[in-house]
Amino acid sequence: MFEDIIDNYIRFLTSLTVDHFIRLFWFFIFFEFIRYFLIEFVILNLWKLSKWLNRDVYEKARQEFLFENPLVSIIIPGKNEGKHIYKLINSLKEQTYTNIQIIVIDDGSDDETPTIGRDLQKAGLIDLFIRNEIRGGKASAANFGLRFTKGKFIIHMDADCSYDRDAIEKIIIPFYLDKEVGGVGGNVMVRNYDESLVTSLQAIEYYDTISIGRAVTSYLGIYRIISGAFGAFRADVLDQMKGWDIGPGLDGDITVKIRKLGYKIKFEQDAVCLTSVPNTFKKLTKQRLRWDKSLIRFRVRKHKDVLFPNQAFKFANFIAFVENITYNLILNFKWYFYLVDMVVNYPSMVLNILITNILLYTFTNFTKFVIYSLYRERKNAPYSFFLIYIPGMVFYFGYYLRIVRTIAYLQEFFFKLSYKDPWNPEKTSVHAKRLKL
Amino acid sequence: MKPVFVLKGININDPFVNRLTDGTIFSLEQIEFIIPTVEKILTKVNDLKFTNSISFEAQMIEKMISFMYTCDVYDLEPVPYVYSGINYSFPILSVNFSQTEEHSVLDILDIAEREGIFESDYYDRIYLCSNCSNGHLTYREVCPKCGSSNSTTEDIVHHFPCGYVGPISDFKNEIDDQLDCPKCDKRLRHIGVDYDKPSILHECKNCSHKFQDYNVKAKCLNCLTDNGVEMLKGREIRKYRLTKKGELAAINGFVSTSKDIEEIIGTVKFDTFKTMLKYEIERLRQTEGSSNICAIHITNPSQVYSKIGSEVQKGLLKDLVRVIRSSIRSSDAITFQSSSTIVLSMNEIPTRIAKRILEEIIVMLKRLMNTAFKNMEVNFETNVMPLDYKISPELHIQQLTKDFK
Repeated sequence: MFEDIIDNYIRFLTSLTVDHFIRLFWFFIFFEFIRYFLIEFVILNLWKLSKWLNRDVYEKARQEFLFENPLVSIIIPGKNEGKHIYKLINSLKEQTYTNIQIIVIDDGSDDETPTIGRDLQKAGLIDLFIRNEIRGGKASAANFGLRFTKGKFIIHMDADCSYDRDAIEKIIIPFYLDKEVGGVGGNVMVRNYDESLVTSLQAIEYYDTISIGRAVTSYLGIYRIISGAFGAFRADVLDQMKGWDIGPGLDGDITVKIRKLGYKIKFEQDAVCLTSVPNTFKKLTKQRLRWDKSLIRFRVRKHKDVLFPNQAFKFANFIAFVENITYNLILNFKWYFYLVDMVVNYPSMVLNILITNILLYTFTNFTKFVIYSLYRERKNAPYSFFLIYIPGMVFYFGYYLRIVRTIAYLQEFFFKLSYKDPWNPEKTSVHAKRLKL
Repeated sequence: MKPVFVLKGININDPFVNRLTDGTIFSLEQIEFIIPTVEKILTKVNDLKFTNSISFEAQMIEKMISFMYTCDVYDLEPVPYVYSGINYSFPILSVNFSQTEEHSVLDILDIAEREGIFESDYYDRIYLCSNCSNGHLTYREVCPKCGSSNSTTEDIVHHFPCGYVGPISDFKNEIDDQLDCPKCDKRLRHIGVDYDKPSILHECKNCSHKFQDYNVKAKCLNCLTDNGVEMLKGREIRKYRLTKKGELAAINGFVSTSKDIEEIIGTVKFDTFKTMLKYEIERLRQTEGSSNICAIHITNPSQVYSKIGSEVQKGLLKDLVRVIRSSIRSSDAITFQSSSTIVLSMNEIPTRIAKRILEEIIVMLKRLMNTAFKNMEVNFETNVMPLDYKISPELHIQQLTKDFK
């Protein structure tokens, strides 16, 4: 049986012509390989080159920042996050940049978080602990914290993260490189990469797809999401927008809002934050369903106006939107189209096509991981650890995440389920739904 | 200790007057009614033997229990009293102290209870200034930054549709009483539906600091120290009952507290002595040998102590111990059962030898007393008993001292 498959597959490979190859693997060649490897690789090199060419400019910006020594306010909103806060504060106390104001906002915790927060404030480890007795959602907690900030820059952090010693310094420098920058996203890496199979796979995803993908889009000026775990903003820009709107997906939303105001958004690969990712497929599915729904809710509904020529129209925003929609939404459904194409037109070859696709993706993933490692200056785990997990990425990225994404898109398209997500209190979600926010 | 009565036209509510006097009469014709009380008190006063106690604390305890005994008062209850430095007064004892020193009352009552003079029950808990131990404190909510108690408070409003959160003044407009969101310009309609008030915010009028949690401070009205509440000294207020031992101490005189005696070099605490005795008895159970326990008792302590001051008393006890220590081996232990009874061990020697040593000690002690206090006669009683592994340490001591006067 197995030998038959092998024989059959070898025969398939020997009979494969170039035309035939393109016809059978058009999805991989034109979308995956060209977009996510070839173009990405070229841009990565351009980005690195420009970084090298501008190293003096960067150093000058760094000196300007350190000379000015502005106050940087850090807001950490969350519910029942008390147990994580000490680790986070510890990493903040180690920062090379020390002119910081730390504000922890408790969004109606029902555990020991208030006690921990007050103790931290009493011990002088944080500047302010404030609390809303009634939960209002992450946006309201962040906005509440915002009004106590006194800094020129505001950094939004998640309580379950911790930060490299130079993370704050690195994330602020882009504001001095370009005065039009309104927000900077930090580089999120996986702390618990060795906890389970699912965390190891996510670590690779964060390395290759998220981090490198953001570096590339940032270089192109179409970087679209400042991670809630680590994002820096100009205080005056946040003030213009009066803070965050309600989520879920508020980090992507605020990025679009900053863009609409005409500011640039940058990604800083060297500003590193470590986070704990979901350690089971069940938890990961829940997280990704939430993330993916927000693409429909915010891009396709709330901010669809970026597509239309109006006063606030920006070409870069238009491109960012189109790129996002094309590669996440359309491509996602196009993959099913490819699947149907193969099943209908080449029913006898489906198994061989599947094997070839797996091999092609695996080979590309290995190549990407090895080559991209040259473009990462910071790693938090030996790369050799991940090599055995790379074949799994085909199934993780190509099948699992794609299916989750499809479900999320359909749920949001047809049922607007994000408004029922318990991540946000119902009292706020009903208004968001009614006002189409 | 003389009986005191108040002659007054009306009833008196002052706790000090009520507890420190033996009664009130409203006219001199009533004197005959108080004669039996006076006689009773005077009879009881005659029972008392006054001593000059070693320490101030012991003097206070003696004074207090003597008074209680003569007045037939066996309960010592705290009285809430606004003029007291600790807000509670024990009139019989507190009368000896000025308002600023009144916290010492609690220390003295603690000592008395440890000595077995009183039994007590919990009554209340008080907090005293960390600097001067005064209980007159004013509690204030203050700014955590500058300590000022001058602040204003505002409700925080969360507008659901846009997520704006801010103090209610952000939402107020200058035209009418309506609330309008500064972020999305929508009018706030209905609490719980489109907005709520999740918390409050205080603003210090002194330093403009905004905060949610006040610090609570307690300012001492005596020394003006601003105490953090966690720095205050918490003390229990208890109600006390005179024990039988306390009553006997009132009659026979209370000379010193165990604290005073423990300070005498060359002795061990009575409890430690009992433990050592227990081990010696246990050792004798397993090995053949002869060990002894001895006691020296001053038969007329009140006579002795009443003639000399507290410092000399301490010196006398120190001399006694020094003489005894010079006659026994260094492995033997000395302890005070009371200020008039010294108990010592003489291990690993026959009882007859122990008796002879004890006789020599008494000769030396009498010689010492004659030299040091020429006009004072000090009488001693002694007893020696061999240790018997069949009986407990407590019983040994009881049998040893049962015949002492």
